[in-house]
Amino acid sequence: MKKIRIGSGSAFWGDMLEPAIELAKTGNVDYIGFDHLAELTLSILQRMKVKDPSTGYIQDIKIWMRSILPITYKNGTKIITNAGGANPEAAAEEVAKIAKELGCDGLKIGVVAGDDIFPILDEISSKGIKLKNLDTGEEDIDSVRDKIVAANAYTGADEIKKCLEEGADVVICGRVSDNALYVGPLMHEFGWDFSDKYVDKLGAAVTIGHIIECSCCVTGGMSNMWKVSKDPWKIGFPIAEVDENGDAVITKPEGSGGIVNEWTVKEHLVYEVHDPGNYLMPDGVGDFTSLKIEEIGTDRVKVSGIKGKPRPETLKVCIGYRDGFIGEGLVMFPWPDAFAKAQWSEKWMRERFKLLGLEPDELRIDYIGENVLHDTIATMPDNDSQPNEAGLRVAARTKTRAQADMVRREASHLWTAGPVGSSFGAPLNPRPIIALWPTLVPREEVKPYYFIKEVSA
Amino acid sequence: MVDAQIKEFAFARSGDKGDISNIGLLAKNDECYELIKKEITSGRIKNHFGKMVKGEVNIYEMPNINALQIVMHNALGGGATKTLRYDQTGKSMGQALLKMSITVEKLVLERAKKAEEEIYKKYSNPDWGENL
Repeated sequence: MKKIRIGSGSAFWGDMLEPAIELAKTGNVDYIGFDHLAELTLSILQRMKVKDPSTGYIQDIKIWMRSILPITYKNGTKIITNAGGANPEAAAEEVAKIAKELGCDGLKIGVVAGDDIFPILDEISSKGIKLKNLDTGEEDIDSVRDKIVAANAYTGADEIKKCLEEGADVVICGRVSDNALYVGPLMHEFGWDFSDKYVDKLGAAVTIGHIIECSCCVTGGMSNMWKVSKDPWKIGFPIAEVDENGDAVITKPEGSGGIVNEWTVKEHLVYEVHDPGNYLMPDGVGDFTSLKIEEIGTDRVKVSGIKGKPRPETLKVCIGYRDGFIGEGLVMFPWPDAFAKAQWSEKWMRERFKLLGLEPDELRIDYIGENVLHDTIATMPDNDSQPNEAGLRVAARTKTRAQADMVRREASHLWTAGPVGSSFGAPLNPRPIIALWPTLVPREEVKPYYFIKEVSA
Repeated sequence: MVDAQIKEFAFARSGDKGDISNIGLLAKNDECYELIKKEITSGRIKNHFGKMVKGEVNIYEMPNINALQIVMHNALGGGATKTLRYDQTGKSMGQALLKMSITVEKLVLERAKKAEEEIYKKYSNPDWGENL
């Protein structure tokens, strides 16, 4: 039976490079998918592109390609990435330049774009399509219209598949869904399409893509298995060995660190999923309640019997808009009376804000080591408790950068005006907020396209 | 009957999509799954998290893997890019749920503790899957 080995080389902008190189070298994989985009990333990249039209893609792609292309050019592993971000054409230009320098003669680079619907947002609205906010239920996009910085559709695997059909060795995409980076190669290799006949196969592809797409988050990272993960500093990135029935074995390169067992696969299956019977992706719908997970060897877990449903008629769109600023400060207090010093400083800070007339949209003060994470369900120490140290974190959401900067300034004033021993690190700069407005648009409103570029060295 | 925390019966992994926080709760064995299925209700979740979770809570069952999927709306202080929480993407929400207390039969708790012990013991052997 035909089997395809597909690896996940990156889960976010800033992921580890070494395990990706290991995948290319010793993973014996046919494809590696690289995801670099989070919900916010396109807004950051879009703003970079406005300042300099030759940018707007994930700059890391240069280092990644310099390290990985020399290996994959020789062994034939194909690379699928969404590092193109807001500017896949420019990213491909850069990769072509690097490939030429590396002597990768004849390398074919597929470019997938067309997910950027910012320029046609008004046109879509004018057709009477409501761009309702899926998070808040708000219907009036006009209320934030002038603050929008980016609007990108999560497109599917169609164009990736077409690039592969035309012999692409590297496919550089914009905001295709992370999932499509894995679905595209499987559709191409097994001849799956969107007809009724392959609904379960596409459901399987979407599910398998989901299981591996966050790199080490299924091989012992972010895991309840952290205590038993082997050499976790050498954690391996995952590989799905997929067969034409749509079953898969999840594993990792031989000799790599980490662990793949029923728990790491289960914990990733449930990760960032809502209705598990309807995992909606642009290329299909996975039913996670139908499948079976079984350990078949050390670091080998079989996932089988995956069912699917036809792909949705709409595509998810993520709209980013400017929405004020966040100012933040952090001060630490030593024994004796560390906790009392922190409490005194909370009061000091609140009074200072009043005095200065600062009225943030939201203000939050946390006690480090006590309630930063567990918040309302944390049990706070007694007032007379004597910890070695205590810390205060203050964060505020404001309308202007100047107001956000006041928060930073006041936290730093505790260095001199606070209780004896108050300690500080480097101050945190105010940061602009890009709020997200997730919505749906009919599939036909988005027109992704692709082209192939050949390198001659 | 004894009081015990959810931590004894399940593993958790949580994440975000916008302002929605989700927690996958993985029962340590069949008995634990029946228990969490009965004990974890949207009302109790709302009550446990208090003002951290402002919206609706939906719970989905995954009997094929002994898991519950808990989806909490309006639960991350506005979502990763806007929230003032240090944990912008709600990775710790699952751990916070493990703190929830329930009342169970002493034997059920003992069997759950044993199940966890066996899970970690199994994978402590680097060749744990050799004879599968």
